Amino acid sequence: METLQPVRVLGLGNVLMGDDALGPWVVEALLAGWEFPEGVSVVDVGTPGLDLTPFLADADAVILVDTVKAAAPPGTLLVYGRRELAGRSPLPRVSPHDPGLTEALFTLELAGAAPHDIVLVGVVPEKVEKAVRLSPAVRRAVDAAAKEVVRRLSAMGVAPWPRARAAAPAPWWESAADFRIELSARA
Amino acid sequence: MTRIVVDPVTRIEGHLRIDCEVDGGKVQKAWSSGQMYRGIETILLGRDPRDAWIFTQRFCGVCTTVHAIASVRTVENALGLEIPLNAQYIRNLIVMAHAMHDHIVHFYQLSALDWVDVVSALKADPAKASALANSLSPWPGNSKEQLKAVQDKVKNYVEAGQLGIFTNGYWGHPAMKLPPEVNLLAVAHYLQALDYQRRVNQVVTILGSKTPNIQNLAVGGVANAINLDNEATLNMNRLFRVKDILDEMNAFIQQVYFVDVCAIAGMYPDWLGYGAGVTNYLAVPDLPLDTKGTKFDLPGGTIFNGDLAGVKEIKTFQDPYFKENVTESIAHSWYDGEWSKHPYEEETVPKYTKFDDSKKYSWVKSPRFQGKVMQVGPLAQVLVGFALGHEPTKRWAVKTLETAGAVAKTKLSPAVLHSTLGRHAARMIRTCVISELALKHWGLLAENIGKGDTAIFNQPVFPKGEQRGFGFHEAPRGTLSHWVVIEDGKIKNYQAVVPSTWNAGPRDEKNQPGPYEASLVGNPVANAGLPLEVLRTVHSFDPCLACAIHTLDPEGREIATVRAL
Repeated sequence: METLQPVRVLGLGNVLMGDDALGPWVVEALLAGWEFPEGVSVVDVGTPGLDLTPFLADADAVILVDTVKAAAPPGTLLVYGRRELAGRSPLPRVSPHDPGLTEALFTLELAGAAPHDIVLVGVVPEKVEKAVRLSPAVRRAVDAAAKEVVRRLSAMGVAPWPRARAAAPAPWWESAADFRIELSARA
Repeated sequence: MTRIVVDPVTRIEGHLRIDCEVDGGKVQKAWSSGQMYRGIETILLGRDPRDAWIFTQRFCGVCTTVHAIASVRTVENALGLEIPLNAQYIRNLIVMAHAMHDHIVHFYQLSALDWVDVVSALKADPAKASALANSLSPWPGNSKEQLKAVQDKVKNYVEAGQLGIFTNGYWGHPAMKLPPEVNLLAVAHYLQALDYQRRVNQVVTILGSKTPNIQNLAVGGVANAINLDNEATLNMNRLFRVKDILDEMNAFIQQVYFVDVCAIAGMYPDWLGYGAGVTNYLAVPDLPLDTKGTKFDLPGGTIFNGDLAGVKEIKTFQDPYFKENVTESIAHSWYDGEWSKHPYEEETVPKYTKFDDSKKYSWVKSPRFQGKVMQVGPLAQVLVGFALGHEPTKRWAVKTLETAGAVAKTKLSPAVLHSTLGRHAARMIRTCVISELALKHWGLLAENIGKGDTAIFNQPVFPKGEQRGFGFHEAPRGTLSHWVVIEDGKIKNYQAVVPSTWNAGPRDEKNQPGPYEASLVGNPVANAGLPLEVLRTVHSFDPCLACAIHTLDPEGREIATVRAL
């Protein structure tokens, strides 16, 4: 039997910065609604900079989900292929933490471990500022982005299937405000 | 007088702007500005203190682990909660694996190209490079064939008309001085380092279930159930997988990273003379060896004006010497007011005005210790360790100075560490020390479990009323502290004073420049349009500023600019 090369779905973004939580949100939605075949991982990777490298390395395919800057209304879904992602040169480095996706891809190319295929499912944000919720337009785009990921996985021959008891996604960063703590008697 | 502005308008992290006034080929004055508002702490207000760490590790996408560790220690400190020995050891192993990963990435992937000319490596003779390497190190990855293969790979890249990751380097810059053979070795190790930094991160994944953003912490301990014979828990198999990786890391760090830094330091001796800046140093102790945090494997303390003999130790997780002496100033930061306050008392009210280097010019606050500017990071860690007679730190520091001195054909004293390349050397020294201590703590954990102790968690209890707590962690970039005020079981105030704030902060109310600003003064600048020398010194601190945000821009409108005015 042929060894299955991993396929990775990576949600990028900072969950504390409003619409930047789109990537992690889509990951929550995917995990709440779908089951995935062996070899497919679906991970919220935050904002890892060059630490994205291990998640890209030696993968057969990578689907990134993230917010994208583009001249389109908030909530617009845009899909980019490898050429658009890697087509530009890296920027002059100022902070050593500037390197990101392009740099991670180039580095892996040189090391001979770049993913065979890579695609970015992007959503245009409305507000990227300190907050733990999505703006309505971007929240509405979550389902469309998740479906796009499912469609692409299916096209790759690793289709997920709907969970028997699908739950509504409940990201921890939006639900954690509701808690109860038992205080001890001693003051 | 020329003014250089290095101002990234990039999409991720960073957001650091450096302004320099250059005259007579040297920097006369410098300003460091954080260009993005943080203030994420306010998201924690009113929340469950037991959840704080899950949120704080999202402050920064790169240094997730360190904010998680500092946060659980902070709440434990507020509650006076001790944690089981196993939990300390497991946390320590995560901390050390993360530090090794971070330092290797910083040196090879993020800053080596300030010193290494990739294009020059094409002119190297692989046989000569191999012979040189074998005279310095027993590392098996330096054979003529391996080096030739690397050279061919880079050659293919260049001949295909693209340098890929190496585009935009300062190739051929007059400040590049390494011979082609050393450049080739550095490029080969750049590629090997990619593999090793991934490998050591597996330790964080095995123990923390995931990285970035570990999942195994809890206020009161860790969530790693221990049962040596159970598939699903921390078992024999996983423990030995960790040990294997730590052994491999030891070899890479001591046989490759050590040698490369010594060679670069020895071949750029000028850079052991530039970049000192602030010579007050702060490091906190880390790697606790008991349940309370009163005994440590890495020492902490303060040094003022470079006077190692006057070192004062910070001894425990409760030490009032640390707690009582930290303040933050907003005199030149974009916040409302002019105050200097203790972290428990701070409020964060942003008030942006334009960049005015005589008034307010940064989102970063200016932390001070007893009102003094402090440099934090590996150099502070090593100097404090050296001054306190910490055996492994002293041994690796002496070995480094001897080896780099042999390359430079001169005797190097510890004073050369107060410099740009001294910071790189110190980071390597610290990594060597940690590579040894990681194996020691693996042994401590295995031995403790062997005694039948499987405790991992003590239940936190929240009393009524108010508690205050602080927690620190000596992170890869330096002293990180979190400060919490809890009232009736809820977070009332939370502040994080992060390493890059200590180093990148602007001037304070007494107009004392921050460490970045002071370190740039006197740096040479051969070509104001290609200020490689400025980047060398800034990079030597391993800056990580924004701790927050990125939006990908596949349509590519953003530009990082270097302007010479």
